[in-house]
Amino acid sequence: MRGLFRWSGKWWPGVIPLVVLWGFAAWTSTLPLENDLASRSSAALRGSVLDKTSITVDGRDVYLRANAFSEAGRRDAVAAVDAVAGVRLVNDETRLVPEAKPFVWSAERDVVRLTLSGDAPLPALKGKLVEATRAALPGVEVADQMVLARGAPSRFEDAALLLIGQLGKLKDGKFAISDSDVALSGMARELGGRESITAALSKLPEGFKVASNEVKAPPYIFQAYKDPVAVTVTLSGNVPDENIHAVVVGSSSRKFFNEKVVDNLKNSIGAPTNFVNAVVPALGALSRLSTGTLVVSDRDIKLSGDALYDAAAAQIRSGLAKDVPQGWQVKADITVKPAAAPVDPTVCQQLFSELLGKARIRFETGRSDLDRDSTGFLDRLVEIAMRCPSAIVEIAGHTDAEGEEGANQTLSEKRAQAVVDYLVKAGLPADRFTAVGYGSSQPVASNDTGEGRTQNRRIDFVVR
Amino acid sequence: MAFLIAFHWSWLVGAFVIGLGMGWVAVVHRARGVSRPVTLLLSVLAGVLVAAAVACLIPGRAGYWVELLLLLFLPYLAGCAIGTWLRTLVVRRSMRMNSAA
Repeated sequence: MRGLFRWSGKWWPGVIPLVVLWGFAAWTSTLPLENDLASRSSAALRGSVLDKTSITVDGRDVYLRANAFSEAGRRDAVAAVDAVAGVRLVNDETRLVPEAKPFVWSAERDVVRLTLSGDAPLPALKGKLVEATRAALPGVEVADQMVLARGAPSRFEDAALLLIGQLGKLKDGKFAISDSDVALSGMARELGGRESITAALSKLPEGFKVASNEVKAPPYIFQAYKDPVAVTVTLSGNVPDENIHAVVVGSSSRKFFNEKVVDNLKNSIGAPTNFVNAVVPALGALSRLSTGTLVVSDRDIKLSGDALYDAAAAQIRSGLAKDVPQGWQVKADITVKPAAAPVDPTVCQQLFSELLGKARIRFETGRSDLDRDSTGFLDRLVEIAMRCPSAIVEIAGHTDAEGEEGANQTLSEKRAQAVVDYLVKAGLPADRFTAVGYGSSQPVASNDTGEGRTQNRRIDFVVR
Repeated sequence: MAFLIAFHWSWLVGAFVIGLGMGWVAVVHRARGVSRPVTLLLSVLAGVLVAAAVACLIPGRAGYWVELLLLLFLPYLAGCAIGTWLRTLVVRRSMRMNSAA
């Protein structure tokens, strides 16, 4: 041993090649060593929930920069890198993700894209929200502008996913969560979309509440166009349900006695209240026009066209506003059709007979009140009466043979008088018309059948 | 340590071989040995370096390079010791044979 110690004094020359060897070793191994440590450190952090992770290796020292979502997560990440074989020191440059107060998240839809912005609690959930949005809106560009933050309310994920599921019903607008308050604004894609979104919001997780819901529905449109050339009335747009659909079409068929009713209506929810009570009188007003258009948009009624005579135009303008339910607005843009050329009394009689052959003047059952569905028909009769100003016309009322003769006589007189009153109200001189009741004495068909009795209940215009 | 040995084993073998050669030569080398004060000085220097390495006082790459140097010294010294011991055995044996002759 002493010999060994003695000889060790002569070992120093070997240090020179050793130092050269060390130089080579340092030159060639430093980068591979650093890369090896960096890759194994990254692998060690794979299970950790971190954001903006950056690992830099200097020799055997690791600089770890990352945003952690909890203090424990931060400590665990440092410990995981520290446990990597070969790592000498871990320079901990991690920090906690900032806490958002309030925690705000939003999804905003415009014409071409959907933008997710605000705060997201975890990277995995951020990705999940983006994926869910892409799945809910295929073909729509999804822009992710979310930033990670702590402080999300509990069950935030469920609430956000619920709102994302409703984005498809939105044409444009914004869904937002601020802590536990949900705020919605924008325009629904379809009629009923607003109601559907509101219904879905009832399933929001416990603790969340709808602070404001300002989603608007597109206007509820109903249209009718009376085309005198094609002799049609085209109904288009929306009606609330099958029953009201039938009521509107049935009412149109009665009011437009001469025109074919083209039904292009579809049933959609979201109609304003009292829809049918507004549309039916508006159709009645349209039936009095020679040509015209009716547009009902939500609670706004726009009627435009040509009335058959001056008094009719005035009656439509003032009458429709009174007939529609409260809260509905009427804008009537009515002009008067130029008066037709005067004709001889004989031609007038021919025109009366022709028109009365197409339809009948209707009355309330068993009474002498004119049915409102007959107003358009009566206006046509007024128009003809105006074309022969010199003609004296007898308005003859007839009934069927049902009931007592005396009552029928009275009813026929009253009904004839009601028609005369209508003509006088239209501006025609009262002395040109006489109301005569014939009861059931002049049947034109058999009173044994229902069809025959219907034909017998009539008003005739006889030019004297 | 195990990681460093596993990662640098080829360089360690090289250092051991250099040490073995130096040890082998040292027995018959005519050069002057290192004086006692210098040995003491070198020992202190080595101690300081070891202490710095253990305490991780030198940061980054420089720290790693110091560790590498110290690590290479270990097989070098072991090689020197083994080389010297083997050469001593050979020299003694030949001296014995010469004296017997």
